[in-house]
Amino acid sequence: MKAPAKLYGVIGAYAEPEPLVAAARELRDAGCVELDAFTPFPVPELDEILDARAGILPWLVLAGAIVGALAVYGLILYSVEIDYPLNIGGRPLNAWPAYLVLAFEGGVLGAALAGFVGMLALNGLPTYYHPVFNAPAFSFARGDRFYLLVKHSDPKFAEARRLLKRSGAMVVEEVAE
Amino acid sequence: MAEAPAATAKLVRGQPGYPEISGRIGGIVLAGRLPAHFWWGFLFFFVLMLIFLFCVAYLIAVGVGKLGIDIPVVWGTMITNVVWWIGIGHAGTLISAVLLLFRQQWRNSINRFAEAMTLFALAMAGLFPILHLGRPWFFYWLLPLPNVHMHWPQWRSPLVWDFAAIATYVTVSLLFWYMGLIPDLAVLRDRAKSRPGQLFYGLLALGWRGSVRHWKRHQTAYFLLAAIATPLVVSVHSVVSLDFSVSIEPGYHSTIFPPYFVAGALYSGFAMVLTIAIPLRAAFGLKDFITARHIDNGVKIMMAAGLLVAYGYLSEAFVSWYSGNVFERYEVWTRAFGPYAPLFWIMLACNVGVLQLLWFRPIRTNMPLLFAIALVINVGMWLERFVIVVTGPARDFLPSSWNTATLTWLDYGLLFGSLGTFFALMFLFIRILPAISIYEVEELAHEEGAA
Repeated sequence: MKAPAKLYGVIGAYAEPEPLVAAARELRDAGCVELDAFTPFPVPELDEILDARAGILPWLVLAGAIVGALAVYGLILYSVEIDYPLNIGGRPLNAWPAYLVLAFEGGVLGAALAGFVGMLALNGLPTYYHPVFNAPAFSFARGDRFYLLVKHSDPKFAEARRLLKRSGAMVVEEVAE
Repeated sequence: MAEAPAATAKLVRGQPGYPEISGRIGGIVLAGRLPAHFWWGFLFFFVLMLIFLFCVAYLIAVGVGKLGIDIPVVWGTMITNVVWWIGIGHAGTLISAVLLLFRQQWRNSINRFAEAMTLFALAMAGLFPILHLGRPWFFYWLLPLPNVHMHWPQWRSPLVWDFAAIATYVTVSLLFWYMGLIPDLAVLRDRAKSRPGQLFYGLLALGWRGSVRHWKRHQTAYFLLAAIATPLVVSVHSVVSLDFSVSIEPGYHSTIFPPYFVAGALYSGFAMVLTIAIPLRAAFGLKDFITARHIDNGVKIMMAAGLLVAYGYLSEAFVSWYSGNVFERYEVWTRAFGPYAPLFWIMLACNVGVLQLLWFRPIRTNMPLLFAIALVINVGMWLERFVIVVTGPARDFLPSSWNTATLTWLDYGLLFGSLGTFFALMFLFIRILPAISIYEVEELAHEEGAA
């Protein structure tokens, strides 16, 4: 016989972003901390309530740009100054106006790769399994469901279901681990 | 837009709810509600694609001598095609990145297919310089790879810059496009009824679950990539133009080329956006998402770019007269009255003459006519690139070596074959991926209060 699934949390579904924002604010004020919301399109009002931050992502992009540009310029300098110096009519080996074009492209490439990989890594994607997919109501198929999740580990979890119901959720479900 | 008619003022027409938006956009892909003429169209372009593959194989087997190029005109249709295709790609990046930064929300329903257009146009553009090498299997010599020769690329050469710029542009466009697709792939994953569909879209969606924290980082990265793509898009066609202007050839050696090429790129790119958008919205019932206002805004940007191009023509002629340089002056004269004069005048008629029709609002709202004008501008921009590429070398410094290039069946086969491949890829894209961004249109509908 299968053991009963461990509880991950409880999820409430709303039809519009506004009730979700109101509910998130209400639950946070009631002392819930282990909250997450799932929306079919970005709802910036939730960022502050649920403390969603970009974190180091912008710095990663900047670092990618600098590393990319320096790596390309460094490679060129190594090739023209050390590995294969070629004196053509006494022209300077470090022809920086020409090399800046390539360093710029290297910087752009580094920044874009850092932004893309950094976004996925910080979000922990790809992750094909997540407990929230266990909730029968959880689907982006129609795009008219906005979800608020209270995790089991939340200190106020005992009250969460009641709070979600009272906040006007259309459906409130338990989410198995 | 205050005085605009009510029907065109909103970006999302009618009052579609979120399920209707995701249903109508996702339905094209999942329900396979494709009209029969979709497949006839695909068949037509697929045949052209096969012709393209034949021409490419023939070119590699026999050599570039089968093209119409001839000494001293060693650059012909292949280089023309590169410049033209890259230009077409630029409009996609402008729509997706620059208009995102300027918070032009009308971009939301046309950015996805415009980005796909960019990718496929770049795929075509990237092939031509390699095929034009003569020995295309050595194209990797442009990369600083440690190999048996231990040689380095010539870093001072615009051809190496060109390679780096286009490769970077392709990579950044692909990342940007895929990043925008992830949330929509999750929608398709949840909508798909068949197991293969769920697996296919599920794997591509990377387990996207729309968490607020994920959205925050997604949107941050999306905006940063847009901010990076903006200078990139200006740089790419500038670098391509340096292939010409760094040389000393009259007609190539011109400092106006970088901005002039970028303007030309946007001009031809928006013409291609209209060429795709007008049939797309009519064939798939997407007139509520790609409204008359989208088309009108696109036409206005196309006009602005076209007028800049016209200014470029004037400036080029003026500067060569003002320079007092006999070769430069002769170059302008030979463009207008030399061996390629008919092409030059057709180009002017297409790019400057026909463009003036767009000043009139009834013409800007007449879709079949706009479609025809977009096609004419596409032709005109190809001719512009061709005229630039061939007239310079055809009448260079040494009259004894003057010669003209012709066009052979292989030139036509590669040009029209690449067009067929491009459109065949677009058709497959419309069939397999959401051609309009679902989450961005829903966001727009939410902000406009339609939902």
